Amino acid sequence: MTEGLNLKIEGIYFDGHSSRNRAALLQVVGEQVLLQVQPDGPLSALEERWQVSDLRIEPPLGRIRRIVKLPGGGRFETPDDAAISRLEAGTTRNRGLGRVRHIESRWSLTLAALAALGVFTWGFLTYGLPALARQAAAATPRSVLASFDREAIKLLDNGEFMGPSRLSAARQAQLQQQFRQVRDWAGGAYPYTLLLRDGKPQKAGGRGFSIGANAFALPNGTVVMTDQLVALAGSDRELMGVLAHETGHVTHRHALSSVYQGLGLSLLGVALTGDLVSATSFAAAVPTTLLSNGYSRRAETQSDEVAGAYMMQAYGTTSPLRRILARLEKDDLKATEDSIQDAGRAEDMLNTHPGTKQRIEHLRAIEEQGKPTP
Amino acid sequence: MTDPPDFIPISEPGTAGASGGVPYGRPVNEVNPGLVGLAPMPQVRTFPLSFTGTSAEFFRIWIVNVALSVVTLGLYTPWARVRTRQYFYGNTWVDGHNFEYTANPWALLRGYLLVAALFGTYNAAMQFQFQGWEWVVGIVVGLFVLLYPWLVRQSLRFLARSTVHRGLHFSFQGSLGQAYVTYGLANVAAGFVGLALPWAWFMQRRYQVEGVHYGQASGRFRGDVGPFFIFGLTGLGLTLGGVILLLGLGLLGFGLFSALDLGSLADWEDLSAASMTGIVAALATAYLVFLLVYLGAWQYVRAATMKYVLNNVELGGVVRLGATFSPWRLVWITLSNTAAQLLTLGLLTPWAAVRRMNYLAPHIQVRAIADLDDFTAEMGQQESALGEAATELLDINLGF
Repeated sequence: MTEGLNLKIEGIYFDGHSSRNRAALLQVVGEQVLLQVQPDGPLSALEERWQVSDLRIEPPLGRIRRIVKLPGGGRFETPDDAAISRLEAGTTRNRGLGRVRHIESRWSLTLAALAALGVFTWGFLTYGLPALARQAAAATPRSVLASFDREAIKLLDNGEFMGPSRLSAARQAQLQQQFRQVRDWAGGAYPYTLLLRDGKPQKAGGRGFSIGANAFALPNGTVVMTDQLVALAGSDRELMGVLAHETGHVTHRHALSSVYQGLGLSLLGVALTGDLVSATSFAAAVPTTLLSNGYSRRAETQSDEVAGAYMMQAYGTTSPLRRILARLEKDDLKATEDSIQDAGRAEDMLNTHPGTKQRIEHLRAIEEQGKPTP
Repeated sequence: MTDPPDFIPISEPGTAGASGGVPYGRPVNEVNPGLVGLAPMPQVRTFPLSFTGTSAEFFRIWIVNVALSVVTLGLYTPWARVRTRQYFYGNTWVDGHNFEYTANPWALLRGYLLVAALFGTYNAAMQFQFQGWEWVVGIVVGLFVLLYPWLVRQSLRFLARSTVHRGLHFSFQGSLGQAYVTYGLANVAAGFVGLALPWAWFMQRRYQVEGVHYGQASGRFRGDVGPFFIFGLTGLGLTLGGVILLLGLGLLGFGLFSALDLGSLADWEDLSAASMTGIVAALATAYLVFLLVYLGAWQYVRAATMKYVLNNVELGGVVRLGATFSPWRLVWITLSNTAAQLLTLGLLTPWAAVRRMNYLAPHIQVRAIADLDDFTAEMGQQESALGEAATELLDINLGF
């Protein structure tokens, strides 16, 4: 490789023991290297020979003068970038960073890198990260899910968020009975349990907030539903629609996926900002929150699809779920699905759930599709 | 391969050296011709720093760094860091010679991976709360707190060791005990009594300066603790003044608002979308202004401290540094840089860094009573990159 090399490079030499620079000439012929250094002050002239393979060439960067590290701690510095580049090419050194410098020195390639960065980030956020998170969530062992549920229930039942259900034992048994049908339909062999709770903090003056009319699922199939939600429902079909929606979160492992998505987002933040702390700072929190809200809205839509499928199979219509969504939105027993207004676009970005209007329309579309063609 | 080397003879020693033989730099021994130590009246010579980087060139390097870091999911980060440093070091000149940053990216990568693994374990423990997670969190945090001064010292050693000028390494030789006093004890004291914070800054800067060696020459800090208190109190005063001003403006605004819209204020639900937007906008503005004031005050403290420290550094008894930049000008540059970076989603970051350096470099001087080529080396060993990785990744502020 080095056969054709015949270079004569002017530069300066430092011996590594003194800060005194001396004019020097580095010549490379084939595999042989000759360094000739001129005397200066107390330092005498110097002539040394090595093999090309003994030299270490520092990778190129911008127009900064090139440095060749010599055996014995000396160094040769030169502004003759072209000659050093030929030496690198002849000895196949610094190929990776040489290519990086090639990109860095051209506007067209740099802008292409910027475009590539944009495309990569967009693709990673839209497809890559959700897919990776889904895979990771699917591969997470059941024991982790179980410990999630255990810890969460312990926290929720400490009295600061909610209390035991005030529904009669008969009513509770009735709801449990109906939940069994949803559970059997949902499948996935999760240990589904329905916890009925009062959505008001049990301890007065606790730091908890009122959960109110709500239902949510924990990763391992524990579904919590509050008395307030039961009171808001016009029929039990509405409640079963909500519970079917929650089983959708369980079977698709949405909670775990969101944990992994969060990890992926912070990893991307670290790569972009270059340190671990800025990636968790306020400035980074805003885009991260917006992105994870986007993922969350997608998960809700997917769960609505599950709920819609259950409603169509069990009742042939999705209208009970649409009704209770409208009531939840207005927190009003008399609200109807047609009374829901479209939310603003900006407001939509800040929400973890899609707009109720959109959800209702989505469920209507499911009903339209699911109806047997006349 | 078999041909005898066909070397071109170099010109006779002694003839080329005097005229034009030195490709750059000043002519050899122009002022003090070989009589170091004998000259009766040392002549002080001043060499201002100069910076030759350009924002266009650095933009290209920076954007390629970011793109490669993201595409490799962070694995390229050490190379990106090293290249960024190398660009700024390599374009900073004193007396005809530039600096070099020689850190080995592979060593940094090992350190980064170790720190990232610990940070990841900590985050996973906080997120998943698996069996015994409290122990994991406790051990990681405990390790970090206990090792913090050691990490800082390692980082200083690595940074100094990786800095080369005129073929000589810098090194950092501050003792571990002093590290625990200045970065452990002083920080803990400042945590308990806020007023001790300037004293901690003083201790830390003195530790940094006195630990630095260039070749065999060691650094000395001639500064005092007093000015640090003045800078700290000025910063505090600026922040408090800003808060009081904001509170006053807020109260005024709220008064106007209630006077105009008194009826609907009782019912939060009924607030019209327009007035809701108004409130959000006002809060956001107030928050932004507060951030600006806080950032400005903090930047003032940093800039003033930096100027004071630079003006009180001495190296080997023959070199002093001088700084003539205006701290307020530096505050303005930092604030306007931040605004420009935010408005362009970070794309002006390279321009901002070069702009700052273009202002700083000519306002920092090296004043020497001996020739700068009379320093001699001291042997040293390679330093571990772990401390450097920790301070970079965890954003520990060394205050350089």
